[in-house]
Amino acid sequence: MEKLLNKLLNYSWITMIAILVITALFFIKMKENTRMETDLDKYMPQNNPAFVYSDKAEEWFGINDGIIVAIENKNGIFNTATLDTLKQLTKRLQKMEEIDKDDVTSLYTADNIVGSEYGMDVKRFFKRVPKLKEKLQELKKNVENNEMIFGRLVSTDETVTVIVAEIKDDVFTQEFYKKILSVAKASNTDNIKIYVAGRPIVEGTMALLGPADMKKMVPIVLLVIFLVLFVMLRSLKGTLITLGVVFFSTIWAFGLMAAVNIPIYAVSTMIPVMLIAIGVADGIHLYTHLHLYINKHPNATKKEATIDLLKNLWKPVVMTSVTTAVGFISLLTSQVYPIKYFGLFTAFGVMTAMVFSLVFLPAGIMIFGLPKPKKNKEKGNKDVAGHSYSKLANNFTTAVIKYKYVSIIGTAAIIVLSIIGMQKVWINSSFLEKFEKDSEIVQTDKFINEHFGGTSSLNLILDADGKKDVFKEPSVLKLVDKMQKDVDNQLQVVGNSFSLADYIDRMNKVLNADKEEFNKIPDSKNMIAQYLLLYEMSGDPENLNKVVTYDYDKLNVTFQLKSDNSKAINSALAIIDSYNEDFKKQGITMNYAGSGYKSLVFTDLILEGQIMSLIISFITIIILLSMMFKSMKIGLIGSVPILVTAFISFGIMGFLGIPLSSTTALLSSIAIGIGIDYAVHFIEQYKNNAAETDDKLKAAQITMAHSGRAISFNAIVVIAGFMVLVFSVFPPNRELGALVSLNMFTSFVGTLSIMLLLLYMSNIYFKKKEK
Amino acid sequence: MKRLQIKSVLVAIIFAIGLSPAVSGQSLTGKQIVDKAYNRATGDDQTSNLTMTLINKSGSQRVRKIKQFQKDFGKVDKRIMFFLTPADVKNTSFMSWSYDDDSKNDDQWIYLPALKKTKRISSDSKSDYFMGSDFTYDDLGDRNLDDDTHKLLREENINGEACYVVESVSKDEDYMYSKTITWIRKDNFVGVKKEFYDEDEELLKILTIKKVEKISGFWIITHSEMKNVQKNHQTSMILSNVQINSGVSASKFTERIMMRGL
Repeated sequence: MEKLLNKLLNYSWITMIAILVITALFFIKMKENTRMETDLDKYMPQNNPAFVYSDKAEEWFGINDGIIVAIENKNGIFNTATLDTLKQLTKRLQKMEEIDKDDVTSLYTADNIVGSEYGMDVKRFFKRVPKLKEKLQELKKNVENNEMIFGRLVSTDETVTVIVAEIKDDVFTQEFYKKILSVAKASNTDNIKIYVAGRPIVEGTMALLGPADMKKMVPIVLLVIFLVLFVMLRSLKGTLITLGVVFFSTIWAFGLMAAVNIPIYAVSTMIPVMLIAIGVADGIHLYTHLHLYINKHPNATKKEATIDLLKNLWKPVVMTSVTTAVGFISLLTSQVYPIKYFGLFTAFGVMTAMVFSLVFLPAGIMIFGLPKPKKNKEKGNKDVAGHSYSKLANNFTTAVIKYKYVSIIGTAAIIVLSIIGMQKVWINSSFLEKFEKDSEIVQTDKFINEHFGGTSSLNLILDADGKKDVFKEPSVLKLVDKMQKDVDNQLQVVGNSFSLADYIDRMNKVLNADKEEFNKIPDSKNMIAQYLLLYEMSGDPENLNKVVTYDYDKLNVTFQLKSDNSKAINSALAIIDSYNEDFKKQGITMNYAGSGYKSLVFTDLILEGQIMSLIISFITIIILLSMMFKSMKIGLIGSVPILVTAFISFGIMGFLGIPLSSTTALLSSIAIGIGIDYAVHFIEQYKNNAAETDDKLKAAQITMAHSGRAISFNAIVVIAGFMVLVFSVFPPNRELGALVSLNMFTSFVGTLSIMLLLLYMSNIYFKKKEK
Repeated sequence: MKRLQIKSVLVAIIFAIGLSPAVSGQSLTGKQIVDKAYNRATGDDQTSNLTMTLINKSGSQRVRKIKQFQKDFGKVDKRIMFFLTPADVKNTSFMSWSYDDDSKNDDQWIYLPALKKTKRISSDSKSDYFMGSDFTYDDLGDRNLDDDTHKLLREENINGEACYVVESVSKDEDYMYSKTITWIRKDNFVGVKKEFYDEDEELLKILTIKKVEKISGFWIITHSEMKNVQKNHQTSMILSNVQINSGVSASKFTERIMMRGL
């Protein structure tokens, strides 16, 4: 291997050009063949039973996410101007090509089921906007008397009314959103304010905002990394070549993705993040070594220097890259395809970065020459007590070893704290909570939630498994009714619920002279069947298709939630699930549907996969390390920085209340990637130094001055770069920046303190000599 | 405003005009053709068994069997229907009186045996669908000849029958159909096919006449299908045991009879 690498040094130009050409080819492929996948349904494993059922249920009942357009008039909505705005907006939404006419619901389109002494009427609340005072009063009374409308389409304080426009999953685009906003804004007057909210808006905006923000921030991140790297290496050539390694490996990874026709998913934007954090490490270690070598041998030729570089470092570079790649490959165990791809292509990127570090970087040195030796610094350090040239390294090493209990107790304490913090970690599949608290989208959502049942929905599908007419049975509908009331009453977060039972309740009341005591499910199945027939004859039978299947063998119960976060959904699920047994006795199974539920399941799947792969890769890495260093002990010691990093990362998330989401969960991969880099470089150096001395302290100090220095450079560079993201306008990107920086920092501290100490105390590499 | 002249559960335009010879050789205008189709002799009363099958887009069916009586009283058409199946709505009955006078709303009653009460129901729109079917009340009733502008588009053969193809464009812009296109047989002025276009002038529904029988000297359509192509939902109506002018008693159309049942 070493020979091959050395041989390649003679063909530097060829190597360089070959790499550039391939990079260019990948770049072209990337340009012409890359596509973003923004349809969230495509992210989900299509054959997972929960998704399969949900998709079917969405088809049966036409369950779609709704855009909510709210019209507010502080003076009340029952006046000609507001109602006219409502009618016009409803009509305009109905005319949009993205929206099916029948999928728009508002007070203008809704049916009013009214009862009287002699019969029942189903009619529209209004067609022509009422102008006379009496007519407006009558409308107001009709709305107040109809529980199916009051509090659902008109707020109970009568200052807000909503239009709900359901759209298909793949309809949302930036243009469509702008169109809706401009239609809404055009209707704003002094008294009338229009708001736009709903899951499609939130989901769509997020899918667009996240990558857009990244596009803006990444160049700044790269610039900062460039500057800091330049300060650290004090060499423009070195900086450019090191960044070139990262840059090229990213292009190769994305180029390969494009070449095999895999689209870019939201998690794919994490690939460059990983490659930047991990890829610069090799470059920094190589250049640090090179600097030290030149300082020691000022007269060495560039070839001699490069040969020494490869001799000393090819092994740790290969070891770190292979172990890191294995860590990412373990993500293939995930059920979620975007995560599998993320793991696979990051691993590919890591391996190409390795090749570039060992081929491209030396070729660069051969072509562009060595960095200049720094003379002034080390002279002043000549009298320093200790074994390396660096006072700081010597003192730090001595201190770590002297005050070993600080590290040990500190680490133990941190681990304990982290475990406590980890208990608080919660999973969140919320989309809304990814936005700023004071952003318009969150504020609008809050406003609508204050006035109505909720902007998020959860669909419970009751399934009698093909047995017809089960959902005409009074006992079944009574149970549904009871469950709905139970959930409504017990949970603040559930604003209201809606099912076939509400229709039956309403008709039973209306056909019994509007007496409140009849606002319930009647006792006879025939009665229910006859009510339904009556509704079909006088109302819009399409409405029933949204709550029950044609054969009355499946029922859709919709719960309106005021929050889309996982805690809210899970609290509703807990109460609903307590009815599982009761429904089972009736031969009915419970299933869920809808996008809120799907993303909950999806997040769980991601996490499950992530934890699984974390464990697998952790074990694999211990085994690989043990094999590479031919010592089980080293395998365990080397895994300490990873362990510490992972623990602290999750612990801090718990304490700060940062929920695990699809992106934050992936960050644990960084812990592995970086932790392993630091550990391997440090151990390898320590091992080499130990071979040359009997003095453990000396070996440790020299390693600190060399590897420790590279590690701290690496940490500083990446931390500086990712701290830029803390100023992002998009909260998930901020969390990402902070957590990457944190992981870098803890890996760095962990390696140089507790791992160093364990290495020192284990007496490994010194045993024979002591005898 | 509301006028429901239901002369048959089937579309009114399909009633036979009897044996009047086709006005051959002399070309008819669109309006004249439609007029002849609208004003075919219908008989004074009809008794029949109706099987109405609703089929939704996933192929699920709801089948209803109904015994119905109807009688033309001149200024008012009265109809009464009794559900035979499904069992849970058996003996539910429905009665409607529709008036020739445009300004007079239809009267409709329903008797729910489980409730043991007759209830008046009212819907304020002629575009309401009849019992969850794809037929609106309007499709089933007569439409006033002057509500539309009729134009003879062409003449063509359909299923071996020579037909006029007439386009009828609604004069009222708010009407649920912007236009309809009807294929009317030249020999007897019975409709064969009709296309309904929605407010946006897109095809909404297609009515196909499957079977026409001559009963007691009248052309009666005994099997028709209405398909909503936008919703992929369809309704088939089949008549059996059709009796025309059998002397249905005028006293049949009362709330008392609704409650008593067949």
